[in-house]
Amino acid sequence: MAWIVKNSATMQIERREDPYLDDELKKMLETEVIPRFPSRQAATLPVLHAVQHKHSWIPYQALEEAAEFLETSASQLLDTASFYDDFWLNPKGRYLIMMCQSVSCELLGQMDLLESIKAKLQIEPGQTTEDGKFTLMTVGCLGSCDTAPCALVNETLHENLTTENFGQILDGLE
Amino acid sequence: MALDHPVLTKRIPTPPWGDPRDRKLIDIDMYFDTGGYEGLKKAMGMKPNAVVELVKEAELRGRGGAGFPAGMKWSFLPPVDGDRRYLAVNADESEPGTFKDRLLLDYDPHLLLEGIAICMHACQLDTSYIYIRGEYHQQAKTLKYAVNEAYENKIFGNESLLGQINGRMPQCYVHRGAGAYICGEETGLLESLEGKRGWARIKPPFPAVAGAFGRPTIINNVETLAMVGPILELGVNWFKSMGVPRPDGIPSTVPASYGPKLFGVSGHINRPGIYEEELGIKMSHLIEEFCGGMRDGAKFKSAIVGGISTGVIGPDDYDAQLDFDVGAKYNCLGLGTAGVIVMDEHTDMVAVARNIAQFFSHESCGQCTPCREGTHWMYQLLSRIERGQGYAKDIDLLHEVAGSMGALPSGQGSTICGLADGANWAIRTIVDKFRNEFETRVKKKPQILQSVESVNDG
Repeated sequence: MAWIVKNSATMQIERREDPYLDDELKKMLETEVIPRFPSRQAATLPVLHAVQHKHSWIPYQALEEAAEFLETSASQLLDTASFYDDFWLNPKGRYLIMMCQSVSCELLGQMDLLESIKAKLQIEPGQTTEDGKFTLMTVGCLGSCDTAPCALVNETLHENLTTENFGQILDGLE
Repeated sequence: MALDHPVLTKRIPTPPWGDPRDRKLIDIDMYFDTGGYEGLKKAMGMKPNAVVELVKEAELRGRGGAGFPAGMKWSFLPPVDGDRRYLAVNADESEPGTFKDRLLLDYDPHLLLEGIAICMHACQLDTSYIYIRGEYHQQAKTLKYAVNEAYENKIFGNESLLGQINGRMPQCYVHRGAGAYICGEETGLLESLEGKRGWARIKPPFPAVAGAFGRPTIINNVETLAMVGPILELGVNWFKSMGVPRPDGIPSTVPASYGPKLFGVSGHINRPGIYEEELGIKMSHLIEEFCGGMRDGAKFKSAIVGGISTGVIGPDDYDAQLDFDVGAKYNCLGLGTAGVIVMDEHTDMVAVARNIAQFFSHESCGQCTPCREGTHWMYQLLSRIERGQGYAKDIDLLHEVAGSMGALPSGQGSTICGLADGANWAIRTIVDKFRNEFETRVKKKPQILQSVESVNDG
């Protein structure tokens, strides 16, 4: 799991005028999500998902706004958000490649596949290409072991990958 | 032994009964047309307690990994007090090698929803949350669609046929996780549901007494709940006609291995996939009859029987009988999720151990020191051995570190949850059963001693 390292004493939060959690989003969450739970804090994961879905990542300002909305503290929300791999507290590329590295995938050639993608994109796992198009990650298991090796690109699962077909898939993205 | 007809895969074409290419989403109309929600109808005609007793009598064991009898779990709930009670459905399928629940969520979500409705009636639970892992984007969409259909057809919601439960109309929500393996642990799941980091809770109190939001909560796996509808519909005797009964002389308090089970097979085989068979089927049968045999005709070497946490079985266990007793018989942790990873003779077991250690090292939530530090050090040690830079003593050290973490006695009860037990068993079984592979990879003595000796020899 993720441990965050930040200099709380001197860190400046970048701010902008427009709220990340705008009225429209708040209204949707208030009517559709909040009533599901006996406490507002319980809506943390759905709220963070909604913010990330809209903005691609979760800036600190958005965390503060979400904390106010959920009637909890920003530090509590940071505690939760930083725990989960799916929440991005830093900007990521337009396409997030999550390559499965489970035993099943490694048995069927995931290592070579990863090397070829690293060479193709010129980045290591955890990094984003200079043009901001791709972010590469390796993940535990995507639950598609029968079609190993596999990878998620944003919300789409790609199965039975080879260096050739995966290269073509990435080339085909805008 | 062989299953006469598919149960969980009744509507999902699966060999030998159907062709996976014919699979499509079963919507609620198709589900009704093929006998769907008959189990719920039957349950609605029974007193809640009678349903719990029936599931208890069927000895349905949890399909999520631990194999705890579901009916027993349900009967641990305190008496109704008029306040909220919850059902948390564990669809956080993250155990490497496991992909069985995905099949049900992809194609037959109403089988799960029927089980949920029956459970809510039986246990008098007014709200259910289906906690689905964040990576299952498509499955979450399918599930939301199916839940909407169920609301429209008065399974859940303000016009639900279930009527008021605890003074409320029953609700069912899909709740997406965010990429944390630990949230598949039942109390980690509850913490996550409450909007916190997914740290496992110390038990007792057990969730049945104080679970989500401090209220009585039942947590069941997707496949377990999917099995409840057919049991209600077809009866206890039908369910117990499948699987492995208790041997003579074993007291009835020891649960047996009844019923059908989904087996997800992957790795070095010709046709990986999900297959449904009775519990107790031989692994060799699964590989040869369903999976088209070993890939490239290679020889079998080892297999992980139920997700990486369960550890491995050795080259002599090709005929291993896959039921809930597999752990005791073949010295591994247990049946787990029945996600079988088959490995052939060319597999490097040191690399397999390193892969597994890396997973647990990343997924340890950091709450308990033995697990947080131990998984990390095992990964370091195994990486070193894999690179050929390890020493003979590293093998014993690995064993010692593994044996020092876990909630079970084998892990000295040093952690809160079972994540470390998985790491412990996986690494120990690989080292024990393939020790020669590790020994050939390590240097005999630390480098400095070797050089001193060579000076002396010279």
